Amino acid sequence: MAKQVVPQLLRQHLANLADDDERISGRGQWQGRDVVLEVDCLYNADGSAKVVWGDTVVYVGVKFELKEPYSDRPTSGSLMCGADLRPVAHRKYEPGPPSPESIELGRVVDRGIRESGCIDMNALCIVPGESAWMVIIDIHVISDGGNIFDAAGLAAIAALRNATVPASRYDVGEDYKLAVALTPIICTFTRVGGRYVYDADEEEELGGAERLSITLGDNGSMHSMQKGLKGTFTAAELSEILDVCKTRCSELRDLVDSKVE
Amino acid sequence: MGGYGDVKLLNDDGSRLDGRAIDESRPVEVKVGVIPVADGSAWVKHGLNEAVCAVYGPMEAHPRKIQLQDQAVIDVRYNMAPFSTSDRIRPGFNRRSREISKVTAEAFASTVMVERYPRSKIRIEIEILSAEAGTRCVGITAASVALADAGIPMRGMIVGVASGKIEDTVVLDLDKAEDNYGQADLPMGIMPTTGEIAFMQMDGDLSMDELQQAIDYNFTAAAEIHDIMEAALRAHYDGGDE
Amino acid sequence: MKGNETDAEPRLVVPGEVILDHANLNPGCGIINSADGHIATRLGTLKDNEGTLHVQPINATYMPRSGDLVIGYVEAVQSNLWFLDVAGPFNALLPMSLAPWKVEFGDARNHMDVGEAVLARAQEVDESHSVVCTMKGVGLRKISQGHIVNIPVQQIPNLRGENGAIIQSIKEASDCRIIVAENGRVWIDGDSAGIRVAAQAIKVVTSTGHRPGLESRLAASFAGGEV
Repeated sequence: MAKQVVPQLLRQHLANLADDDERISGRGQWQGRDVVLEVDCLYNADGSAKVVWGDTVVYVGVKFELKEPYSDRPTSGSLMCGADLRPVAHRKYEPGPPSPESIELGRVVDRGIRESGCIDMNALCIVPGESAWMVIIDIHVISDGGNIFDAAGLAAIAALRNATVPASRYDVGEDYKLAVALTPIICTFTRVGGRYVYDADEEEELGGAERLSITLGDNGSMHSMQKGLKGTFTAAELSEILDVCKTRCSELRDLVDSKVE
Repeated sequence: MGGYGDVKLLNDDGSRLDGRAIDESRPVEVKVGVIPVADGSAWVKHGLNEAVCAVYGPMEAHPRKIQLQDQAVIDVRYNMAPFSTSDRIRPGFNRRSREISKVTAEAFASTVMVERYPRSKIRIEIEILSAEAGTRCVGITAASVALADAGIPMRGMIVGVASGKIEDTVVLDLDKAEDNYGQADLPMGIMPTTGEIAFMQMDGDLSMDELQQAIDYNFTAAAEIHDIMEAALRAHYDGGDE
Repeated sequence: MKGNETDAEPRLVVPGEVILDHANLNPGCGIINSADGHIATRLGTLKDNEGTLHVQPINATYMPRSGDLVIGYVEAVQSNLWFLDVAGPFNALLPMSLAPWKVEFGDARNHMDVGEAVLARAQEVDESHSVVCTMKGVGLRKISQGHIVNIPVQQIPNLRGENGAIIQSIKEASDCRIIVAENGRVWIDGDSAGIRVAAQAIKVVTSTGHRPGLESRLAASFAGGEV
């Protein structure tokens, strides 16, 4: 990722705004941008979703492949979730092998989905020890206007819940809907002007500091957390964030529910 | 080109399996400004193909060794998203994508007024989201609209079109089955406003007469798609869609 | 953006478009001549400027011209010069001899560090759009307070308005000092309430400035901003 100069005036301005409990976009501290979710939008994917989240645009495609199960778990299918921050998404992204930023994004979304247990891995097995489905989630960020974690996480779970297992393509029976029991949702908070805000935009990320991403499951339990970028936080700040996180996660879960039956 | 006519691709009435006439293109849709952070962008749907393109620049060409002292470098990346095909594509280096990127870049270097921007580069990022035969053409169409949207000066917009041969018949715009089992494919990048050809590849088996027929089909289709591209730009900027 | 447009509807042209009329005019920016007539090379609106036809581009990267007032961010410092990001294709050079201070060799960073902003003037621009900037001149200085917003360069005339009327009304309503640099960066200096009013108003102009009724939308923005 190409380095970006952080204007000192931007930092100063964000701090002044924070003192007055304001944000550069005019939003409230815990207020997110408008989110538009579309599912089943990619012709060749087995499950797909597109999220337009402010200036951020993310596509997620789910594909299935038949694989031999891992020898230590012969009756279990597998899950893979990867992200690619390609140069299409921002002038700061450069071509080349996946950057640490891409890998982090893929792994944070992966953990939230995997650890929630929303997919029954044993149900993906066809013949124990011989063949099982591998679910592959590919995150494709098309425009990075800030907070790609939440947009990618939302698109990933929506694409999964919309996915069809292509059994007929592999001659192992009829196609069926992938069973997804839960809807884990990511919420990301960024320190901007000294305090945390929800859903930082491009300028806030540029002039901000560390971020905290939290994935909550349907029953409110936590499935993944990630602190990224330079900065530190306190336990008190974390608990304040978690309160906000609960409300916002359930709103986004309702959005997913409204788009997939 | 695979099967050489052993798969039936034309109906008895001479129409194609998807019902199109032999000189009929798949429907084309164009949208402008789909990538908010880019300097210019476009989305193109051509049949079941779907592509987006972002343009960034002109900006300083890095690393310095790629700089040209008298003109801008056109830096194209054509990439297929992993989920764009029925069998997933592993991300990473790909010879086919490299080749397409190279000849696409050379096509645009011939139409963009590169001499205006010495030592700079203009990045054209083409991402194929759905691939059903003819993605390099869809990418070229999307890139032209994105370049126009970015305000890059050029002599005209290149339109990506293809014709081919199935069951010994020249047809416009091969779909996936026709591409897989047909006898020839002729993708071209045509600038309808000047009648120039900036991009051409071909594989398969064509006679001279068939080639002429395929070129004619391509020129007619390019003019039609050019109208759609122009209308999309006008709708975005003239229609007051804000 | 006033009611009395000199021409009829502004005509949008796309790259490659052959312009059949206006054959009597000389080709200007964004126009090339061919056997068929004038051809537009950019997306924009046609302008007839005293016998020369050009295209006013809708989108464009900032291309520095000598004499431009620019706002730059220090992107790198060496012992005797600064590199400024001026939103053009290339970083601009600010040699210490053109700084407003007496700078000892090796001391540049102590005067101005990475991330700081300056109001400077493009002194020399070569054919590859490389720039040498100067900070010697009236009003040129380091910017150490206020807020800078970015606007598309082609929106600058809209923001200024006829005879500077629009920008003047924003200055008055926000009680801020506002400097519009040619590279699309706008410096707003005032108290935080004023900066908010001005930034909001600038957004109104740049997003809807091409539509009629801008004055009333601005008035609404000023009223809303002062709550």
